[in-house]
Amino acid sequence: MQKSKNKSSVLTKGKIIEQINLNGNYYRMKIKAPQIAKEAKPGQFVMLSKWKIKELFLKRPFGFCHIEPDSGTFDILYKKIGKGTQILTESRIGDSVELIGPLGNGFNIPENAHKIAVVARGIGIAPLIPLMLESKKKGIEIYSFLSAQTENLLLYSDKVEFISRKTFYTTDDGLKGAKGKVTNFLEKVLQETNIDVVYTCGSKRLAQHIKKLQKKHHFLAFVSLEEHMACGIGVCKGCVHKTINGFKRVCKEGPVFPVEEVIFDD
Amino acid sequence: MTKEVNLEIDLSSLHLKNPIMPASGTFDIESTLLNKKQLNELGAIIPKTIAYKKREGNPGPRICETDCGMLNAVGIPSKGVEYFIKEELPLLKKANNIIIVSLVGDSLEDFCRLAKKLNEIKEISALEINLSCPNLNDGISFGINRDRLHNLIFNIKRSTTKPIIAKLSPNVSDIKEMALEAEKAGADIITIANTLMGMAIDVEKQVPRLGNRMGGLSGPAIRPIVVRMIWETAQVVNVPIIGVGGICCAEDAIEMFLAGASAVQVGSANFSNPYVMLEIIKEIKEYLIRKNYSSIQDIIGLIRR
Repeated sequence: MQKSKNKSSVLTKGKIIEQINLNGNYYRMKIKAPQIAKEAKPGQFVMLSKWKIKELFLKRPFGFCHIEPDSGTFDILYKKIGKGTQILTESRIGDSVELIGPLGNGFNIPENAHKIAVVARGIGIAPLIPLMLESKKKGIEIYSFLSAQTENLLLYSDKVEFISRKTFYTTDDGLKGAKGKVTNFLEKVLQETNIDVVYTCGSKRLAQHIKKLQKKHHFLAFVSLEEHMACGIGVCKGCVHKTINGFKRVCKEGPVFPVEEVIFDD
Repeated sequence: MTKEVNLEIDLSSLHLKNPIMPASGTFDIESTLLNKKQLNELGAIIPKTIAYKKREGNPGPRICETDCGMLNAVGIPSKGVEYFIKEELPLLKKANNIIIVSLVGDSLEDFCRLAKKLNEIKEISALEINLSCPNLNDGISFGINRDRLHNLIFNIKRSTTKPIIAKLSPNVSDIKEMALEAEKAGADIITIANTLMGMAIDVEKQVPRLGNRMGGLSGPAIRPIVVRMIWETAQVVNVPIIGVGGICCAEDAIEMFLAGASAVQVGSANFSNPYVMLEIIKEIKEYLIRKNYSSIQDIIGLIRR
């Protein structure tokens, strides 16, 4: 993965042009910010604020769940969990936001990849969607493995099914798909099919399962990590994650890391 | 007609083109969004605090937002002085002619050998001593004990010919005593202050929000405390004071000048807005013009005159 030097990152204003409540506490927001949309890559993120510094102190990081360079827009998917996301839910069309982005290293799609798998839990599917669309464009076959607490939290399942050759589901209550680990399905597919790369986001537990499977079946695997961030550009050293090479900044060396380099505490 | 105002200021033997600089730990020459011209507009630059040897820092979570500020327990990671000299210094030299290097050490000897090493580098303008860091032996900060503070500053002063800036810890009962002690030990400049020790707990998970449990509070929440400390200290010391703590805009900075600071550092506000220091410089000029002053020096310590 190439080292980001923040060269294409800018501080800019964006305009909210659409906001949809997907269900419960989950929202999708479309933002017009051409400078960012034209540079954004799958797996990268923006720091966003819709508040003055003395109302809420820090910006919040959001991954791109859709990128449209031609129309100069991108989408973020978020869950209402705190003060920042609460303010976002109250947005109106035309409101402006302050952004820094695009940030971080995105997903790497190896030249020789023919088949990939994406494994996500809940909202973790969001940053994987642009990766899937780009892979599809390259003629890569996609197998998707989605897990969630309940069926209504299997976000974007229609879109995922449409892009994927095959989609597998597990829910904690078993009402959609199977009960249990979605990586059991992954293991079955790995036995029958030659998957070149596995991408995951949204659950460290899933990433740990993938790390174990990687030792048995040989494939490349990347995880997009999440941490609390203050700056998003690599200055504060606040968002580190443990790796075999010491602490690495999720915002700068990540958010995408090879699974085998990440150390997950049990 | 645009009126010109003079933002130049002398801090001991340092001559700054303006009194605005980043606080250590909130600026990184390898990650900044500022371009070369913008970096040169700052009064000084202070890279991330450096240690003699590599330091990993604390396990996460290292930061969390709190009301009007944030807590951090980053733990002052550093790639070490050799990395600093080889990789960061060449970039810093091109960025600004005033480079203040912030030092961390886990013992008196550790601090002194670092100060000696940096004394050889002519482009470094001054050394700022982070007195909030704990001594390795007993975990107690250098900056909360008068004898220990004196001993450290006194010995560092003898390891270098560069001006020494004592960055005091605010986690003391009387900041004036510590400031006087630093001055007596030979500090050329005093920085007031550093983060205040704090803690936040996630009541759902019932665990501390920081991996290190406790951390340093920064941001607007601490500014009134720092303004008070600057005001108290300015009345008893003769060395110049650099104010730091919660500055987010020109008004916040001006408050510190009026209280007696000769320069200010902008800290965690840089995280929210990487360009905030440039905005502050511009707005301080506008304030001075609006109030009919010709120089920043006209308002330093104004409230106690």
